[in-house]
Amino acid sequence: MPAGINNLKRSAVFIDLKTMDYGRALSLQAQTVQSKIKDQYIADHIFFVEHPCVFTLGKRGGKENLIVSNDFLTSKQIDIIRTDRGGNITYHGPGQAVLYPIVDLEKNKIGVKDFVHGLEEIMKLTALDFGVKADRDQRNHGLWVGDSKLGSVGISIKKGVSFHGLAMNIFPDLTPFSWINPCGLSNVTMTSIKKERSPYTQKKDPCESTNNFSMAIVKQKFLTHFSSIFNFTIVEKNKSKYNA
Amino acid sequence: MKEINDLNLPDNLKYTDDHEWADTSGDVVTIGINDYAQDQLGEIVFVELPEVGDTFSKGDEFGSVESVKAVSEIYIPISGEVVGINEDLEDAPELVNESCYEGGWLIKVKPEDTAELDGLMDKAAYLAMLKG
Repeated sequence: MPAGINNLKRSAVFIDLKTMDYGRALSLQAQTVQSKIKDQYIADHIFFVEHPCVFTLGKRGGKENLIVSNDFLTSKQIDIIRTDRGGNITYHGPGQAVLYPIVDLEKNKIGVKDFVHGLEEIMKLTALDFGVKADRDQRNHGLWVGDSKLGSVGISIKKGVSFHGLAMNIFPDLTPFSWINPCGLSNVTMTSIKKERSPYTQKKDPCESTNNFSMAIVKQKFLTHFSSIFNFTIVEKNKSKYNA
Repeated sequence: MKEINDLNLPDNLKYTDDHEWADTSGDVVTIGINDYAQDQLGEIVFVELPEVGDTFSKGDEFGSVESVKAVSEIYIPISGEVVGINEDLEDAPELVNESCYEGGWLIKVKPEDTAELDGLMDKAAYLAMLKG
């Protein structure tokens, strides 16, 4: 538990959105944040999702770090969406596990820097569960395996409530990352759990399973680690209400 | 994070439940984020401020503070017109961490309704809220 995460009793609802367009998930986050601002008794929500291919920009932009043309992206049918999160340009796509915690940090007395640190810790522990040793790096936040980036963090805070979150590469096609300077950093390569997994590990390889099965494991790891790091009791609920 | 008793909260300032401070000693109110806010945000890398001449109603978002990988909205505690912004923060956002009450101030506001100043908290009331 990072310093500053105290022992308040906390609880949250966890929803697996499966695959959902970035824009639709962003709207869902915005609605949830607004509901929580209006009524502080509405539960904290944690959304787990995979997005179809999309590039997103941070509040301060990052389009200068797109190194292919708009026409090229159009030909690939990939959108670029401007957001109000921290950080620079990034890519989301199938095979990447994304977690959006809509958490009242103010009410739960969790500091912003501790929250960012905790989200990185969730990815670090999940990577370790799959036999991959990853860590933070002085150059940039997020999670790294050597000089390659495995996961990213970027959040926004509105009236004390967090949104956006983390994205961790499990088994995505990494090619689209080569079309940007991820997070605004040049000469950075991206990696994934699948790419980094040691062939000598004794654990069953989730990447050899079907995608849904693999993501089900990742989801469970995220849920477990979020719960222990931030001291939350988490209840998973059906997604039907949120896909309506 | 700092313990509540370790926070630097000058006696002569007013405070808000969004962890801002306001110097209400003159005709123009100076506003910034307080020691609690800068501490829990961590290293601040960018500050987005309004323009001089912009007007806001109490509680409006007037800008944002970006710490590493996190953008936090900031809210104006009183209604009024922005008559000054801290241009030093464009090149040195770290001033908000290093000197939140002096070099790291954010904006100066000409109040529309001075009665709103009565709604701000003194140090004792703010500390009581924090300890909640």
